Amino acid sequence: MKKTVKKEALIALIENLMKDHEVVSPVETAGKGVFYRKIDKAKDVYLGPAFAVEPVKKFFLHPSEWICGCNKEEGTASPCPVPADDKKRVIFGVRPCEARGLVLLDKIFAPDDPAGYQDTSYIDNRSRSVIVGLACSVPDRTCFCVSLDGSPVETRGMDAVLFDMGDNFIVEILTEKGKSILGSLPGTIDAGSEKALEAAKEKTKKLVVKTVKAPDSLDASFKSDYWKKVSLSCLSCGVCTYLCPTCHCFDLVEEERKKLRCYDGCAFPDFTLETSGENPRPTKKERYRQRVFHKFDYFKKNFGENLCVGCGRCIRFCPVKIDISEVAAGAPIK
Amino acid sequence: MTGQMNTSNSNIYLPRETEITAIRQETSDIKTFVLKFKDAAYGDAFTYRPGQFVEFSVFGEGEATFCISNSPTRKTIECSAKKMGMVTQAMHELNVGDTVGLRGPYGNGFPVEDLKGKHLLFVSGGIGLAPLRSLINYCLDNRDDYLDITIVNGARTSKDLVYRDEYKVWEKAPGTKVHLTVDCREEDWVCMVGVVPKALEEIKPTCNGSVAIVCGPPIMIRFTIPVLEKMGFCPESIITTLEMKMKCGLGKCGRCNIGNHYICKDGPVFNYAKLKELHYEL
Ligand SMILES: Cc1cc2nc3c(=O)[nH]c(=O)nc-3n(C[C@H](O)[C@H](O)[C@H](O)COP(=O)(O)OP(=O)(O)OC[C@H]3O[C@@H](n4cnc5c(N)ncnc54)[C@H](O)[C@@H]3O)c2cc1C
Ligand code: SF4
Ligand code: SF4
Ligand code: FES
Repeated sequence: MKKTVKKEALIALIENLMKDHEVVSPVETAGKGVFYRKIDKAKDVYLGPAFAVEPVKKFFLHPSEWICGCNKEEGTASPCPVPADDKKRVIFGVRPCEARGLVLLDKIFAPDDPAGYQDTSYIDNRSRSVIVGLACSVPDRTCFCVSLDGSPVETRGMDAVLFDMGDNFIVEILTEKGKSILGSLPGTIDAGSEKALEAAKEKTKKLVVKTVKAPDSLDASFKSDYWKKVSLSCLSCGVCTYLCPTCHCFDLVEEERKKLRCYDGCAFPDFTLETSGENPRPTKKERYRQRVFHKFDYFKKNFGENLCVGCGRCIRFCPVKIDISEVAAGAPIK
Repeated sequence: MTGQMNTSNSNIYLPRETEITAIRQETSDIKTFVLKFKDAAYGDAFTYRPGQFVEFSVFGEGEATFCISNSPTRKTIECSAKKMGMVTQAMHELNVGDTVGLRGPYGNGFPVEDLKGKHLLFVSGGIGLAPLRSLINYCLDNRDDYLDITIVNGARTSKDLVYRDEYKVWEKAPGTKVHLTVDCREEDWVCMVGVVPKALEEIKPTCNGSVAIVCGPPIMIRFTIPVLEKMGFCPESIITTLEMKMKCGLGKCGRCNIGNHYICKDGPVFNYAKLKELHYEL
């Protein structure tokens, strides 16, 4: 169901939603860029073309999250669960690639396989959240979603989506959850607007100029020195993994009273360093190769898709400008 | 999969309260912990396969990974831990009666069904005997299902041999031989001398209808597999249980993969043919 909605009407709706919902949206921060934040003023909502630096992932997998408690007292101890946050949450402005990233993360944290391990904290965060997407209008030069079976105007993983049509938004409601939040917005859509929307979508798709031809399997390149060459300048800073909407590696850390799950990443030397000093990925070659293989080979073998949505973040923010799309496409598989 | 008691509404990271009911000092730096779930009903329903592992919590210190070193055919859950870093050092300070946490069992375990009707050659070094002990006792408790059992177990010195009380029991079992070896000559030592691969060359076990099950420090595995291959063991009939740094045990934290397989989920037991396919370097 689609309707044309005045921007002010949307802001008024958000103002109202905040009474009994947690509302999250991109917010412009002075000099630092756009970030997703929990908001308390509807006018802070930023639905412009600039991309959030961090992906929306952090509302489902927190950078550092309390996963269970334990009491260490007088030599006795016991684990205890953490009370779940159950307030309904609406997240505005989620971009197509990030929403698709959530669909990919679901495969790991909420597997379809009934024998698979269900991550209840992730699942609780997913089920209490309504995703109101925002179709892209000005793709970045680092975006390459289109080559990865995605699109800047697609809606997988969203409950509703907004298309910026200048003075108005066109709102498309995709699920019951989306309807429960945006169903009350007044308005309809006329044939002219429908047509304008289709034209705008086609135009935006064409603006994604970066293409990548990642091979179906990187297997044949595994032993190549190529991986040493392409990782030479890597600083092992981990920015690429932290900012990636699909990277999900974590560490479990214990404090006096709680266990925490914290972001971790394959770029770090101690990620696989064992106590004995053995390290199966001792150099940047093995570590960077792991990142690229995980995204463009291993995940595909396990789930039939790439674990990259082409959001371009790792390219935009890598301090030494390593471009994963070029690296994957250039892997010597012959 | 055996033993996964995973209900959709439970926190998969939450360990179960477990009591230490006994501690055995195996060597100067290895202790075996005998464990009992505080929730008796949970404990009764807890099943596992030889070769599966658990995440062991020392509250306030962290978790570490251990295979269950006892056979599921025996009454108690046991883990043997070598003192290494933070968690294992904290474990070595624990006392009988203390509460720790366990979650698991995880991993595939040994293919006990496929091994039926085979001769079994167990090759271990140091604490590497822990997972094999589980399988050895399992096979001895189901003795008719398996043919000859040969155990080749080595350690740096005779003082570093683990599960010493059990060798006599194993030796007395029908169709079972135990070979012990230490790296260097010692006074009063009557068994073999030399590293495990060298001992294997002396023992010359048969490869016909045999499966070799290998676990030990990486260097031992690195030198043992070529010896086994030279003796005629094909890659499919060499089984090993791998060790990589682990955190979650659930295939989620992303650190323990070789190729597209997570050791914690699809392993830790692999045959050598599969490892070659995954570009695993010894
Ligand atoms: C499947 C499997 C079975 C194992 N079975 C046994 C056993 O029966 N007996 C035994 O003594 N040891 C076993 N280990 C090795 C044991 O897990 C490590 O020695 C132990 O985790 C070191 O922890 P630490 O806290 O003392 O060291 P720290 O250096 O403080 O380690 C920090 C954390 O890193 C992780 N870690 C570090 N090294 C390893 C490693 N090699 N393997 C897994 N996680 C690691 C653990 O989460 C650990 O808590 C096994 C490892 C694996 C993977
Ligand atoms: S962002 Fe760049 S430099 Fe940093 S770890 Fe990733 S590839 Fe290496
Ligand atoms: S690998 Fe890079 S481009 Fe692909 S989804 Fe992650 S951050 Fe985006
Ligand atoms: S231990 Fe976390 S993925 Fe294997």
